[in-house]
Amino acid sequence: MNAFGLIQIGLMLSSATIISSLQCHHLPLQQRKVIENSLRLLDKIGKEFPQKCLREKMSFRFPMQVLQPRQKETVGVAIEEIFQHIFYIFSKNLTLAAWDGTALDQLQNGLYLQIEQLEACVIKKHTQHRWSKEASRLKLKKYFQKIDCFLKDKKHDLCSWEISRAEMRKCLQLIDKATRKLKN
Amino acid sequence: MFNFFFLSIFAAVIGPPGLELQSTNGIVKVKVFPPEANQRKKMWINDLSFKYNLVFWENSSHAQLQNKIVFPVDTIDDLAPNSTYCFKVQANLPMEGKKGLFSPISCVQTTQKVQDLLCATNLSVVALNMKFQLLWGAQGEQEEVTYNVQYLLGYLKKLNDDYSDKWLSVPTCENISSTWCNFSSIITTTAFYYLRVQARQGHNRSCLSREVKVDPLKTNGIGPPGVRLDLSDTLLHILISPPGGAEDELMRDNYDLSYRILYWKNSSHKEEEVKQKEVKQTIATVSGVSPSSLYCVRVQAFSKPYNKSSAFSQQECVHTPADESSSLFIFGIFMAALLVVVVVAVALVFVLYHAYNKIKYVFFPSCQPPLNIEGFGAELFSSLYLSAAEEPVESCCVIESMITEEGNQIDFTDYKHSKQSSRDSGNYSNDDNTSGSKGSKETLEKETV
Repeated sequence: MNAFGLIQIGLMLSSATIISSLQCHHLPLQQRKVIENSLRLLDKIGKEFPQKCLREKMSFRFPMQVLQPRQKETVGVAIEEIFQHIFYIFSKNLTLAAWDGTALDQLQNGLYLQIEQLEACVIKKHTQHRWSKEASRLKLKKYFQKIDCFLKDKKHDLCSWEISRAEMRKCLQLIDKATRKLKN
Repeated sequence: MFNFFFLSIFAAVIGPPGLELQSTNGIVKVKVFPPEANQRKKMWINDLSFKYNLVFWENSSHAQLQNKIVFPVDTIDDLAPNSTYCFKVQANLPMEGKKGLFSPISCVQTTQKVQDLLCATNLSVVALNMKFQLLWGAQGEQEEVTYNVQYLLGYLKKLNDDYSDKWLSVPTCENISSTWCNFSSIITTTAFYYLRVQARQGHNRSCLSREVKVDPLKTNGIGPPGVRLDLSDTLLHILISPPGGAEDELMRDNYDLSYRILYWKNSSHKEEEVKQKEVKQTIATVSGVSPSSLYCVRVQAFSKPYNKSSAFSQQECVHTPADESSSLFIFGIFMAALLVVVVVAVALVFVLYHAYNKIKYVFFPSCQPPLNIEGFGAELFSSLYLSAAEEPVESCCVIESMITEEGNQIDFTDYKHSKQSSRDSGNYSNDDNTSGSKGSKETLEKETV
């Protein structure tokens, strides 16, 4: 590989970075919209929390330190990972939940839009690398793993879904608060 | 236990995914199974987070490797017909920065593509102010062709399941003969979609077009805003109506719109500099405008996050009024001058009239006697002439006869009347007899009361 070839590759990569970086400017604004929308849709998909499910309620303990990392840029990437986990949870067997299918579709679609567009954003790759080294990331994985196991153990019945839905709402509210703080 | 499990993620390797191929009508349908698909205990719990990298090449001497990121269920087209193509796929986790192992290589023979002229082609999307239109073309001369526009929610392709039965029809675009469709009704902003056109002829023939991906906020174009101008004192107010209408918050909300205002003084003899101002609100004010000038404005809406801008609005111009303070001054001067003229004129008229009278008196006196002796003689003569006839001889006699009669017939009622009359009118000192008799009766009354 001669010097000219390397220069060509360098130019291509940098232009790709420039082009891709232009795709990233709208992500913070879109992220706020997705959070707002997701909270609204979470309320829309079902009715009030059933009384009979109260005794089965579990405490999952969302790791707050994920939204207060040492480097502020990694909060955005942390939120994307949370979206991925939520997206995964709601792709499971929802028959027994008997929720509004249209609203659920919109919820999933919004989450996936944000996930996919972040993947297209090259600049975020550096931040992604930093985020992958964060210690609190493991706590986040543990948190979602607990919810997934809970759903599997209860065989995705109505109460397990309603409890998970309430937990996701709490999670999104914490994210919403964190993003508003960052904006200010 | 959990910690050990998660720590091992750093060291773990992503296994090979499963791959199934199906060659049909010149294209190859691909089905990818996530690594650990059949395992009960999984390392990679979230199998939806995998990104599959498909590598394929034509099995010939000068084979060139092609890369494509594919969904679990996908199609590869633009392949040479009647050729052998080989495929392999790897599962990657971009979040973890990990690339997985490749699946075993799988090869398949492509078939001849049958050109169906029924199919709709050249699908394109045109969107302005969140009004979306799909346009397509028909190949050749086709009779009685109806179209059915279908859409798929974007996220369904990400799932591991087959989404072929999840396509829905766009409500107003079922069995239509036109080659365009307004699909704004199915669009929401935080979402993305795939669209395709199904062409039908009779009961037997149908054909599906290629798919087109629609990301609403990225695809949509921002229309120009409306502009209205208003003036007050030396301020020019620019009132902007957002694109998509004031009632529709969608555009403003999702794009975080700002406005770029261009304004300049339109004078015929001098080239004026075009000034620029950027605002976020829909009202902007330009201060220090010159009086008696023509100012013109054009406004453009733009979205910084999405790097999009609209066309400029129509040019709006307004004339600034003449300086009010100078016109007031002129008016004041005029009124004062008018007042002075009126006063002078009145004084002049008065003086002239007075002078005229004096002159008339001095140079043109009248012959009439003075007023004070004019009527006097007439009265004196007229009264002397009449006095003899008016001597009141008869009245004296009448009064005397009335007194004697009254003296006999006086009673209390009469007395009361006379009492009143004496009170009202004072003393009758002329006729002693009358007053004397009445006076004695009065003193009698007073004693009895």
